[in-house]
Amino acid sequence: MNAIECHRLTRHFDRLVAVADLDLAIPAGTIFGFLGPNGAGKTTTVRMLCALIAPSSGTARVAGFDVQTQAAAVRAVTGILTETPGLYDTLSALENLTFFARLYGLSATQAAERAAHYLRLFELWERRNDPVGGFSKGMRQKLAIARALLHDPAVVFLDEPTAGLDPAAARAVRDVIKTLRAGGRTIFLTTHNLAEADELCDLIGVFRTRLISLDTPANLRARLFGQSVRVVLAGPAAPLAPLVQQLPFVSGVDAEERVLLVRLANPDQHNPALVRALVAAGADVCYLEPFTPSLETVYLELMQEAVTVDSAS
Amino acid sequence: MLHWDRITVLIRKEWLELRRSRGLLLSTFVPPLILPLFALGLIFAMGLVSDPDTAEIPAAAIDPALAGLGLEALAQVIFGRQFSTLFLLLPMVIPNVLASYSIVGEKNRRTLEPLLAAPISVGDLLLGKVLAAIIPGIALTWLCALLFAAGLGFVAIDPVVPGLVLHPGWIVMLLLASPLLALIAVALTVMVSARVNDPRSAQQIAGVLIVPVMLLFFGQMLGLFVLDPAVALLFSLVLALVAVGLLWLATQAFQREKILTRWR
Repeated sequence: MNAIECHRLTRHFDRLVAVADLDLAIPAGTIFGFLGPNGAGKTTTVRMLCALIAPSSGTARVAGFDVQTQAAAVRAVTGILTETPGLYDTLSALENLTFFARLYGLSATQAAERAAHYLRLFELWERRNDPVGGFSKGMRQKLAIARALLHDPAVVFLDEPTAGLDPAAARAVRDVIKTLRAGGRTIFLTTHNLAEADELCDLIGVFRTRLISLDTPANLRARLFGQSVRVVLAGPAAPLAPLVQQLPFVSGVDAEERVLLVRLANPDQHNPALVRALVAAGADVCYLEPFTPSLETVYLELMQEAVTVDSAS
Repeated sequence: MLHWDRITVLIRKEWLELRRSRGLLLSTFVPPLILPLFALGLIFAMGLVSDPDTAEIPAAAIDPALAGLGLEALAQVIFGRQFSTLFLLLPMVIPNVLASYSIVGEKNRRTLEPLLAAPISVGDLLLGKVLAAIIPGIALTWLCALLFAAGLGFVAIDPVVPGLVLHPGWIVMLLLASPLLALIAVALTVMVSARVNDPRSAQQIAGVLIVPVMLLFFGQMLGLFVLDPAVALLFSLVLALVAVGLLWLATQAFQREKILTRWR
């Protein structure tokens, strides 16, 4: 079953198209990474999926509920961490959480229990009675995440959940996100931290007003870069690039300083021939290793392609 | 359908925030308590001076109930009535201040989006905010009026003065017009809140609210009318129509989509 489904979801603001024809199908229990530059329409998408604003056209269902006709139900089964924590500074951590828990329909007892659970989980229990105004950015962020989880939502929207957190706190948040997935929840993660997205996400959507690509991180890498090897030489790599490019099993090559990045169909089969060709050309090969491009590399490549396509059209 | 459990939770939160904001609490609730003391002091002073011109004041001339009063008592009644009208400013000023801090404050602190993401209807949300602002305003108005009424017996130079100052028209205004003026104040504040980023700006723009009370104040003083129960009821009816219209406009401004995409 899909936790989130969109069909040609579109949103205009007057003449500005913020989101165009978005099609998504995100299975339940998935961590979905929604990546895109600032101003790409990510926040607008999240707001439509949380039934906060209406689409101009198209449809969307979250946890089985239509965002337009069943907006209240959508809001009841979703949790959201907004761009800014949005906490009440004069209220304590406990008061902030119990207020929202009650607003989500929990009884006073349930609200107190859930608040205590998440305050302990995020190591804020000792500060539970302190006004939030005195909290650090990281503590506020953790409290805002706790608020998003209080009512046990089926789908959680997290906008930059680890922004401003120290490494240990960020690790704790990532662990919580993994735990949520293990519990069957669906996480819609908006982030600029691509290493984090790479670590956490089962599916990645690269987005700039329209969806540029939607796939698993491994498939995105394979689609863009195929199988690649990184050849480290003793001398400059650039003069050898044309020679390597001519080899029949090589589909692409990039040279940078002493490194050749070679795309080939089957590294196990073709690496020996590649090394022989380089040595025959007089190159000193230091070593050779499989190359896995970072998600950042994949993202930048996809963005570049999108910009090229947009410019051409 | 209204969800009173959620509305109550919201009101409690609003009042908890108010209790924690000492500066706002003191600056909003202490000055109104000075009004009855100031009014009583002035009425007491009026009873000490005998001025023949008092009988020439238009307000004295048009009300037959004031005929036969001594000059000092007449002065007390006229000034008492004028000041009693000013109590109607309180149900506007206090809710206006509270609502502007509540709504513009939430907008500034960017706490509105998590609130709007919760499964609470904007009707419940707006009602919670309105009630949280007007209940303290009306309660304080009535408390001040009670203090004024209780103190009047002590400062009156003639036993008939309290009955003439605290006349039925004033009581109708206090019970009927006060809540309506408070509603108007909050509705206007909600509408203004969409356009401003500072609670004080919202309060200043909503300053237009004092116009109806000033009309009453000067209308009485100039002898244009006597605020008897019929005038008070008519005035309340006009206020009710204005309140309904402004509340409808406020609900149009206070929509999830508009708050998130249009409020600046």
